[in-house]
Amino acid sequence: MRMGESIDLLQGTLDLLVLRTVALGPGHGYAIARLIKERSKQVFLVEEGALYPALHRLERKGWIESEWGVSENNRKAKYYQITPRGRSALRAEVAEWQRYTKAVAGVLQPV
Amino acid sequence: MPRISRYKRLFRLASSPHAAEQMVDDELRFHIDARAEDLIARGMSSGDAHRLALTEFGDVVRYRDDVLTIDHQYARELRMREFAESVWSDVRHAARAMARTPGFLLVTVLTLALGIGSATAIFSVVNGVLLQPLPYPRSDRVVQLFQVDNDGRRMSVSVPNFHDWNAQTRSFSAMALAHPPNTITVTSLREPARAVAADVSGDFFSVFGLHPEIGRVFSADEMRRAPSPLVVVSDAFWRKYLDASPSAIGRTISIEKKLYSVIGVMPPQMDYPAGNELWIPEELSPDELKPGRTSHGWRVVGRLKDGVTAAGAKRDLSSVSRRLKQQYGDATWMADGDLVSLREQLVGKTRTPLLVLFAAAGFLLLIACASVVNLLVARMTLRRSEIGVRLALGATRLQLSQQFLIEAGVLSGLGGLLGVGLAVGGVRLLLAMQTGSLPRANEIRVDWAVLAFAVGVSALAAIVLGLLAVWQGTRGDIRETLSSSQRTQAGSGSGARVRRTLVVSQMALTVVLLIGAGLLARSFLRLLAVDPGFRTQHLVVLDLALPYDDGPDAHQRRVAFHEQVMARLRVIPGVARVGVATGVPLVGDGADGGYLILSRIDQPVTADDWATLRHDPSRSGNADYRVVDGDYFQTMNIPLLRGRLFDSRDQSGSLRVALVSASLAKSKWPNEDAIGKIIEYGNMDNDMRPFAVVGVVGDVRGESLAAEPQPTFYAYEPQSSYAGNPFYVVMQTTGDPASVIASARAVAHELRPDVPPVLRTIESYIAASVADRRFVLALVGVFGGAALVLAMLGIYSVTSYLATQRRREIGVRVALGAQRGDVIGLVVRQGGSLAMIGIVVGAASALLLTRLLKGLVYGVSTTDPLSFVGVIFVLVAVALLASWFPARRATSVNPVDVLRGD
Repeated sequence: MRMGESIDLLQGTLDLLVLRTVALGPGHGYAIARLIKERSKQVFLVEEGALYPALHRLERKGWIESEWGVSENNRKAKYYQITPRGRSALRAEVAEWQRYTKAVAGVLQPV
Repeated sequence: MPRISRYKRLFRLASSPHAAEQMVDDELRFHIDARAEDLIARGMSSGDAHRLALTEFGDVVRYRDDVLTIDHQYARELRMREFAESVWSDVRHAARAMARTPGFLLVTVLTLALGIGSATAIFSVVNGVLLQPLPYPRSDRVVQLFQVDNDGRRMSVSVPNFHDWNAQTRSFSAMALAHPPNTITVTSLREPARAVAADVSGDFFSVFGLHPEIGRVFSADEMRRAPSPLVVVSDAFWRKYLDASPSAIGRTISIEKKLYSVIGVMPPQMDYPAGNELWIPEELSPDELKPGRTSHGWRVVGRLKDGVTAAGAKRDLSSVSRRLKQQYGDATWMADGDLVSLREQLVGKTRTPLLVLFAAAGFLLLIACASVVNLLVARMTLRRSEIGVRLALGATRLQLSQQFLIEAGVLSGLGGLLGVGLAVGGVRLLLAMQTGSLPRANEIRVDWAVLAFAVGVSALAAIVLGLLAVWQGTRGDIRETLSSSQRTQAGSGSGARVRRTLVVSQMALTVVLLIGAGLLARSFLRLLAVDPGFRTQHLVVLDLALPYDDGPDAHQRRVAFHEQVMARLRVIPGVARVGVATGVPLVGDGADGGYLILSRIDQPVTADDWATLRHDPSRSGNADYRVVDGDYFQTMNIPLLRGRLFDSRDQSGSLRVALVSASLAKSKWPNEDAIGKIIEYGNMDNDMRPFAVVGVVGDVRGESLAAEPQPTFYAYEPQSSYAGNPFYVVMQTTGDPASVIASARAVAHELRPDVPPVLRTIESYIAASVADRRFVLALVGVFGGAALVLAMLGIYSVTSYLATQRRREIGVRVALGAQRGDVIGLVVRQGGSLAMIGIVVGAASALLLTRLLKGLVYGVSTTDPLSFVGVIFVLVAVALLASWFPARRATSVNPVDVLRGD
């Protein structure tokens, strides 16, 4: 595998990452995309457009909510923030993810 | 950043699909532009920056579509939730509004419940008896087979014919004999029990296909190889007499003094013959019961093979039967064969009365709905100012319509719920009332099909009421109602028109219903007035199912026992006379069979004679065969028309004498005296000595009051060894029958403690014989009564309403000199004329519709003028009465008030 090439992600994992990032603080889609790329060292969200279906899915579930506002350079932008329901969902999803990775690691361990 | 309010979110969704797309485009464009700007800030050219930003974004078209799809689904979810909440809010609102007018709510719900409840109750019966398939696997394949005689009539079957059918037809996977059930006595239980038993052949249970609850059943092979006394019992018998215990299997019970081993218990669905409790292999029964090809009396049931149609099976049966006829000629009375689905055989006769009942309930439902519509329309006119206000405040017609529909839905829902409750109680009542006149009564219950019916009817009512409420509530220019007064706008034409039409329809439907009830009532009374030919009061019947005794001297034992019983019963205070018989009209059927008329008493009868004479109608016939004692006719008050009754001249060794009924005498010897004629009836008691007719007695209606009397032949007990079972003792009583019954029961118990007696008055048997008619009449009567009350209330309410409308007019008339009587006349005429239109329409419809009652009326025509006129008279009186009260109120109008105020 070449360095910097992204891994294909399952939809659910991306949603989790997006939710976690929105939980850090409200922001518009572009800001959220930058954050995810940064924190994952360019591994995730190579195609930035994939963020938007994830955001809208999360909004439909009621885990995040949106509002139109004005950006830093005076443009109309849609801002997202997490809801209380989203926070509990995030806690549950993170716990589930940690259980999953522990299990995988346990099996992949060298003998 | 402030929390995003729900209102804003809804507001966003309310805008057009174009706007939704626009927003998504804006959002995505912002992202790409922002990225391009970042790149430009790092020194890239504008063109390169935008291109790179677009590339980094990925497949814009695809992501845009994905997002639009998600948004679209989300919007739909929100809209549905919104709708549900508005409906729920309307329901709460409707409930509150109705709680404010509890009178309206109560009357409406009760009226709807009455209509829906009666329709549902009757539907339960129709469903259980007519619609539901029989409770056997693939029950549409089960049929009953018949022999057909030379005249094309269906007959019961003889055993040899059955065996040939079984062997030669190809269309049946199983075929079996079943004898009509007998009442017998079972002992070796906690106490002697009277039970119903039927002899059936080995394949009987295969025909029906039900498996026993516990144990097993006997099979054809088993009985062929080693016939042993086994018995299969019904679930009811097992619960009542065998403690519902699994150890009942293997238990021995004594039936007719023979021991049988219980091998299985059938589930309650196994109900053929109806009410049967014990199934005994017919291979065990004495051969005397099934002597030859001409002796018939058995039922045959069969199951069609897979892939065979009923028509095909019928052809098969028919060709085999005709072949048998050719083969055996006069030795068999079967000329052809026929079959009918078992369900049709069991319920066919009840179809007309049940459908009539269903129609009657339907009428009541329509009348009830009309009443409710009337009330609703009245309420709507009262609410028009409220509606005007709401419209002025910005409510849309759609929102109002939704509200009215929901109100109608709530009313119908409550009415339906209460109606189902009434139906459950009603069904229980109906089952108690029908006392055996309905087949498949044990399958009648309020099940899912019935509930679906109730829900369907309620929903239909809700839709009709709702649409009507919407029409009445939102039509015309409602804003004008805000300005005009309550009184003037209440007079608007179409509301009044609707109410007038409703009342006319109610009256018409009520007329039809009551005329139907009237015809049935007259039929019932005519039927009860029929002279059945015997004593209908002061008669008690003792019914004893003695075990069959076929030992030596059985006849002498029987006669001696009868004399002993009668001697003991005669001395009971209150008993005037006692008689004995093997069959009593309306109480229990005896045997019937064929006889020959001989020219001389000493003419021998051979098998050939039988065959030849059988074909000659002047030398042979069919009659009910009864064996009676000397006092029977006086006890029963059956008149002697010619000759003499049995007396001490007639001994067991002397010439055998007989009495015949008038119809038998008339049909065989129309122009001669029956006295002295010779009849051969040997196949009944296996004694071939012929009888000489010594007297003619009156006819009796044995089967039912409505049926014509059957020709009957009476033999004298000391001279005939025929043993009927059960045998009947009739007692003419003076005074209180209850004490006679108690004493007779004690006597029976003392003489035969092992045989439980049945003691009833003749009145109870007569009542039982007309129970089915009474059932239908009672129900139609109840429906008619309820309809009458509703119609009367309808006239009352509409007349009040119309009178209120005309207050000004009345005030003016009074001011101009009209008297009290004039005012009353005015109002009554208005209500009365509406009623008259309804009555005329109803009577005309009844003339056409009552022909459907043809099968149910007795002794009156379906256009019986007395019934028609009577009902019309009653309804006119009721209508006038109902109009009178509002008329009286109208006379208290003060003309000054009316003319001054508004």
